[in-house]
Amino acid sequence: MMNSDFDSLHQVLSLRMLTPTAYVLRVERKGLEFKAGQHLLLGRNGSIESREYSVYSTESDDFFEVLVKEVDDGLVSKQLKQLKAGDKVKLDGPLGFFTLEPETIANGKFLFIATGTGISPFHSMVKSYPGLNYRLLHGVRYSNEAYDRQDYEPSRYILCTTGDQGGDFYGRVTDFLRKNPVLKDTHCFLCGNFNMIHEAFEILEQQGVPSSQVHAEVYF
Amino acid sequence: MPKFIFDLNLSLPVFMKYHLISLGCQMNLSDTERVKTVLHQMGYTATENEQAADILGIIACSVRQKAIDKVYSRIALWNKMKNRKSLITFVSGCVLPADKEKFLKLFDLVFSMSELPHFPDMIRQYGVVTPASLIQAEVADIQENKAVEQNDFSALKPHNLTSARAEKIRLNPSAEMDRFWNVEPTYTSDFEAFIPIQNGCDKFCTFCAVPYTRGREVSRPSDEILAELKMLVAKGFKSITLLGQNVNSYGLDKKDQELSFPQLLRAIGEFGKESKSDFWLYFTSPHPRDMTDEVIAVISQYPVLAKQIHLPLQSGDDGVLLRMNRKHSMEKYRHIVQTIRQLIPEATLFTDIIVGFTGETDEQFENTKLAMQEFRYNMAYIAQYSVRPGAASSRWADDVPKETKKARYHALTAELMKYSHEYNKTLIGKRMRVLVRARDRKDGYLSALTEGKLVIRFASNDFSLIGQFTEVEITSASPLSLEAKLCAVKSETVVA
Repeated sequence: MMNSDFDSLHQVLSLRMLTPTAYVLRVERKGLEFKAGQHLLLGRNGSIESREYSVYSTESDDFFEVLVKEVDDGLVSKQLKQLKAGDKVKLDGPLGFFTLEPETIANGKFLFIATGTGISPFHSMVKSYPGLNYRLLHGVRYSNEAYDRQDYEPSRYILCTTGDQGGDFYGRVTDFLRKNPVLKDTHCFLCGNFNMIHEAFEILEQQGVPSSQVHAEVYF
Repeated sequence: MPKFIFDLNLSLPVFMKYHLISLGCQMNLSDTERVKTVLHQMGYTATENEQAADILGIIACSVRQKAIDKVYSRIALWNKMKNRKSLITFVSGCVLPADKEKFLKLFDLVFSMSELPHFPDMIRQYGVVTPASLIQAEVADIQENKAVEQNDFSALKPHNLTSARAEKIRLNPSAEMDRFWNVEPTYTSDFEAFIPIQNGCDKFCTFCAVPYTRGREVSRPSDEILAELKMLVAKGFKSITLLGQNVNSYGLDKKDQELSFPQLLRAIGEFGKESKSDFWLYFTSPHPRDMTDEVIAVISQYPVLAKQIHLPLQSGDDGVLLRMNRKHSMEKYRHIVQTIRQLIPEATLFTDIIVGFTGETDEQFENTKLAMQEFRYNMAYIAQYSVRPGAASSRWADDVPKETKKARYHALTAELMKYSHEYNKTLIGKRMRVLVRARDRKDGYLSALTEGKLVIRFASNDFSLIGQFTEVEITSASPLSLEAKLCAVKSETVVA
């Protein structure tokens, strides 16, 4: 479906705070096609600035949600946080190719590695495809940043924390990865900061995972 | 403010002049050809002398900061010139949102290329009466009303849109691009031409700002592309290049409502075959992700589809490709090259490579060198990584030292020269068909390109050959060029 300038204005439906700085913004979907893992370009109506945000909601939801962390020196994340239900946002997309191959969904083994709000596309995938055989490593500083942890099967979600010991593993996701080698036939999806992706890719390569099975969405 | 000027002796309008600066890639050059048409239709004539111009414009490029710096330095100069004469300044092309906001304070007019059809209207609203607008304004309003009512945007010509009506059409960006593409370009050559077939990019490579400057991928209707191509061929154009930021994702945005890229190539191939037309059709720049076996198979089947493929590699290391968000692995790239070698063994292969991308290690660079060895490119456009404002990677440390980048650039260039020289030497003694392009810098020589875009020069003062196909015999080879002698008699030739 083509998204025209007129259609690109979407109404805000709600804003849900997860922590004092992280929130889930829900906006109208307007029937746009979407595959779990894709991202949107979002900005406040009337502003020239927009940023990319992976979709947090599922393929079957009739709205879009994005998980946003307010950045100290950021512009858009602060602007979006001020929005209220009924306000409008500029929305472009959904876009991107960070999606699961349809033929792998039923029988494939997946490892999702995220830092911070990089968990967004995996939240969308896990909730879009019930029964998915996945393991999710989520790296954050503090354990209160385990955004919507209840949405994942406890045995599949591993919270890695570096700032406190309230997670499942004390250390970075890459430390966990080194101690827990991955099977070679695993489809690995990485989403988050540049350094994590750089390091995780090298570790996976050393563990024999073919590079064609490693997919990444670089955040910042 | 500039006014319509009358020559008192003749009581006829003295045409006002424009000076246009185009920065950046082939896409910008192609866009510039359309801007020129609109200016000509408004009655402006071109001048190389910016002091003599009444309207000064820049088609900007945001690929590197240096190009944007040029825009700022030029507008500073032009705004000083305004103290002495009435001028209108404008900027268009690839502009990041943040720069656009600044440009609005510096330029009189700032518009995106898709808004080009509204340019005459903007000028008119600025208070400038142009010869064309005087004659056409009334007719334009009638045509415009009819076209908008019928939703027939193709009927709208550049001069005939008021801003109120334009708003209606702005609601549909695809229609906006359609209107832009409907502007007939002012071709800068009479034998080589670009045909834009797609605009924008959905790939979001981390080193590139195009998705933010040109927006989403929009494909041009194939019937228009084919019509423009047939018109060019009928006029005798010999080298035609389909242009797009991701040329081979053509049609994907239309979701089965438009030809796919291989289908478009096939349609052109069939036209060439049926009409027995003599031209070479190129395309640039493709993305490996969308380079299917079908595209390669179609190229192999039709003589008019030139046997030259530009396939950007950017890096030969999977880790770097991942950070570049290229969405393809070396395995995928290798498969494409193997398919090309298998189906079109005579094809030449060109590429783009960035050295010194953020975090690139010595080992990762070595992988790019190995790729160069493996793929044996005929030409590689090698760039030392520099931060491109607005691109995702601009938020990362540019941590490879300048000297290291330089050393890697030279090392890779040496590799390129080695393999291209080896290839070129295999052509010595062979006859090849070439398209003569210009007088060579060396006196008494003409410069030409083979079908595979290898550069050839040969001794001749027959300037009537320029713009024509002819045959030459290769006499010597250098790393990136060939020397030849003109053949008097036609015979079997090789393609390269």
